[in-house]
Amino acid sequence: MRSVLSGVLTGIGTAAFIDETVFHQLLHWHHFYDKSTTDVGLVSDGLFHAGSWLAMVAGLVLYADVRRRGTLVPRKWWSGLCLGLGGFQLYDGTFQHKGLGIHQIRYGVDLAPYDWTWNGIAVLLLVAGALLLVRASRRPPRAASRTEPRTPSRTR
Amino acid sequence: MTSALPAPFTVAVTTATVLGCLAYLAAAARLRTRGDAWPYGRDALFCAGGAVLVAGVSEPWGAAPPFTAHMLTHLCVGMLAPLLLVLGRPLTLLLRTAPVTLRRGLVTLTRSRWATAPALPPVAALLDFGGLWLLYRTPLLSVSHHSPWLNTLVHVHILLAGLLFSFGLLALDPVRHRPGYGLRAAVLLTAGTAHAVLAKSLYAAGPPGTSFGAADLHLASQVMYYGGDAVELALAAVVAYQWYRSEGRALRRAGRARHSGATAAATRP
Repeated sequence: MRSVLSGVLTGIGTAAFIDETVFHQLLHWHHFYDKSTTDVGLVSDGLFHAGSWLAMVAGLVLYADVRRRGTLVPRKWWSGLCLGLGGFQLYDGTFQHKGLGIHQIRYGVDLAPYDWTWNGIAVLLLVAGALLLVRASRRPPRAASRTEPRTPSRTR
Repeated sequence: MTSALPAPFTVAVTTATVLGCLAYLAAAARLRTRGDAWPYGRDALFCAGGAVLVAGVSEPWGAAPPFTAHMLTHLCVGMLAPLLLVLGRPLTLLLRTAPVTLRRGLVTLTRSRWATAPALPPVAALLDFGGLWLLYRTPLLSVSHHSPWLNTLVHVHILLAGLLFSFGLLALDPVRHRPGYGLRAAVLLTAGTAHAVLAKSLYAAGPPGTSFGAADLHLASQVMYYGGDAVELALAAVVAYQWYRSEGRALRRAGRARHSGATAAATRP
């Protein structure tokens, strides 16, 4: 279960990071603040912005911990990653962009294809994540990943 | 420039910081000659914090517009410098090297419920981020520009509240009660949100009573937003690393217990 959680958290952090670097900083498609944002929108944006950094840190440190314990199930981790990525992008694309009007994907163009692509990719990621999770749960995990927790070599 | 700090404040902070760093280095050196371990990294972090603080109050921002310059000073004085200073664990060092009478007093203080209450993460966060909201969403900032005393007081509060927040959240030095990881994560999330929301709202509307240009507000807002991110990320990384270490200790304990249990069972006749 920790494998999935670690993947989801890392996924959310990665999606937010890609959003910030690629769309805000490199392409300048998104606007920092387009002044049509509602107060609720600002709070939601702030919460997700602050939360996604924490999710990234928590996801990575959880990954390190699961690995150390020898209980990492890679397939579950990847499914979590897809779920986190897709979940964040769908939330961002529907609720934040449309529902709260924080900002749009791009300005001065017909938005429809952008919105469909954005949310379509999100749904595909979610489906992929769900399928991976179902397959990982159905198939018994490889023997190596469910043995005794590895005791760290450093003993004091 | 209206946002410049009063000269006596700058001189006082610079002097106190230089003396503080020298005292820290002397104490750490004494500890090492005594044979105690004290990583050099802590010396480096503490002195880096001192350097950032001195740089912040000397305001070397050149041609930066006034509100952006003010924001850069805040980032140094209220966030980055406190983080680095706290990472040097000054209280631990003081507890190990101070004369016995002073040490006794300090121990009493760090164990007292009332003296340590402000360092509880939610309280410290309220003092720090509540103060920030007061500063930017009431006429406090515009009034403080015309009163050197109030301006000094505001900056002293920014520094002390920043120190208190990092100190309480990271809980590196020994105080009465170490807050749990869930609480610390929740406080960090709330504080990060409050900071990001305030930063974005400054993009659209400056503090009441001030008349900063739009370009200045936009730049300052983004400095606050992304600068705050960097410090939030660093704080989160430190807390996460502490969690990782404590889980590792628990794991080793469990491994040892299992191991000794197994040998006991094997030797039993």
